Amino acid sequence: MVERDRKLVREAQAGSREALTALYDAHWPRAHRAAYLVVHDSAAAEDVAQEAFLAAVDALDRFDRRRPFGPWLHRIVVNRAIDWSRREALRRGAEEPDDVPAPPPDEQIGDEAMSALAQLPAEQRAVVVLRYLLDYTPGEIARMLKVPRGTVNSRLRRALDRLGALLEAEAAR
Amino acid sequence: MNEQRLRDLLRETPVPGAEDAERHGRAMLESAFADRQPDRRRPAPRRLALALAGATLLLAVILSPAGAAVRDWIDDALTVGVRDAEPALTEIPGGGRLLVTSPQGAWAVQADGSRRLLGAYEEATWSPRGLFAVAASGRTLSAIEPDGTVRWSISATASVADPRWSPSGFRIAYRAGRTLRVVGGDGSGDRPLARGIAAVAAAWVPGGPHVLAYADADGEVVVRNADTGEILGSTEASAAARAVTWAPDGSSLLVATRDALLVHDVGTSKLVGRLALGAPRRLPLPPASTVAGASFSPGGETIAALLSRPGDGARPARSELVLIDPAGGGTRGLFRAPGPLAGFAWSPNSERLLLPWPAADQWLFIPADGRGRVRAIGGISAEFSPGMEPDMAVFPRLEGWCCP
Repeated sequence: MVERDRKLVREAQAGSREALTALYDAHWPRAHRAAYLVVHDSAAAEDVAQEAFLAAVDALDRFDRRRPFGPWLHRIVVNRAIDWSRREALRRGAEEPDDVPAPPPDEQIGDEAMSALAQLPAEQRAVVVLRYLLDYTPGEIARMLKVPRGTVNSRLRRALDRLGALLEAEAAR
Repeated sequence: MNEQRLRDLLRETPVPGAEDAERHGRAMLESAFADRQPDRRRPAPRRLALALAGATLLLAVILSPAGAAVRDWIDDALTVGVRDAEPALTEIPGGGRLLVTSPQGAWAVQADGSRRLLGAYEEATWSPRGLFAVAASGRTLSAIEPDGTVRWSISATASVADPRWSPSGFRIAYRAGRTLRVVGGDGSGDRPLARGIAAVAAAWVPGGPHVLAYADADGEVVVRNADTGEILGSTEASAAARAVTWAPDGSSLLVATRDALLVHDVGTSKLVGRLALGAPRRLPLPPASTVAGASFSPGGETIAALLSRPGDGARPARSELVLIDPAGGGTRGLFRAPGPLAGFAWSPNSERLLLPWPAADQWLFIPADGRGRVRAIGGISAEFSPGMEPDMAVFPRLEGWCCP
């Protein structure tokens, strides 16, 4: 995959539309899914993934072909998704009435586990997605998010504990 | 939770709208890629002919590497722009000062392009003459000096948003949750004015007494005296407002909803006693447009609106900045780009609009009359993300443009 990506990036840099399309076909589904699982909003996920690919086109001429394309793209996607989620949380917070609790999270995903995932903070959702959807190691995630490796491990642990507790509570209803 | 089960869920759970998103993304990418091809950068014959004919309109093509996808003007009249984005912000074209927020906080940008981080605020706006800014962070509202010194702070019972300083300088309106509150410019007398309002910034009537227009949760726009609490007028309930803004002379009120721009003429220019808001006049918009924001120019001659239009099989979703005659005379396109654009701001003298374009990492300074050169400034994310690697930098949010 990495070698194939390098070849495609090289060809895209030389002007091959087919190579760029092949990169898109290979990486869009997971990038879009990763964005969605962090932001839990289909329109925002589309924007985040599109912006990441546009950034890729923008940077194509100066892209270092020694770097693997996938992690570079995923790093942009996840960081932008975290940023969107933070802003959205601020916006939602500002819309809360003075004296009632925050509204329940968006349950567009439907499944209990996904609903539980939506209740985690964006930073925890991001490490869960990077670890269990995109299969990065905690060390790689730490470098992508620019946080200590211990922070990644603790976020993963807390996320898994929280998911387990939320699912238990769902089951008990 | 079982890790394998979690892996399976993350990989198999359906993503809503995935097919449409995939198609839109592909169209967008192909469009952007096509624009970066050298042979596509040559002006088309029609463009060249217009240039040779000495057309006074702008003709340089916006095709910097960072802004390669920008080349499209509404009505297909011309394909125009500037050839190269400037690599850094060394001045604000047209002068004045900007307020910007990034994950680090609020920044003041001086006319010479120099920047100062004012503090860890999520939102900020200028006072009428730019002597102060009022900034929100969590449940705290603060008045700060241009060097970041905090003059005063107050705490609210809910998250604070959309602070707006009155033209007199003596009042500040802001939202705390769904309550509209008003506080004195010196931080005194904080009090609620209305509950159950929509998540839209209130608008002070220009030049007059302390009168505010705000949207409530029922879709009405209410005009109210902020000092007495008296309701002076209201509109009929309509679709949820996205923006409420006054004409600079207070003669009309613009209400932007998702699908429409509605102008209400104001019955009395003095705004004394009750006032009559006329029936809404619907301004013409291009078909299938969604309104992202709108405001009168500072001189009141025109209304700028940021629209988004959906993609289809042939074209990606796109955003458009248009100017609209408030009297209903017509619409003139200024700029179109694929993907989202992040708001806009008028220059204080109405001569330019600043249009942030996150996907290109550029700020575009666009002459409102369409006759001057568009100036594109690149590398904006890095300017407001010091110490971060370029691909980790976050595009900042434009909060306001003030005061030459």
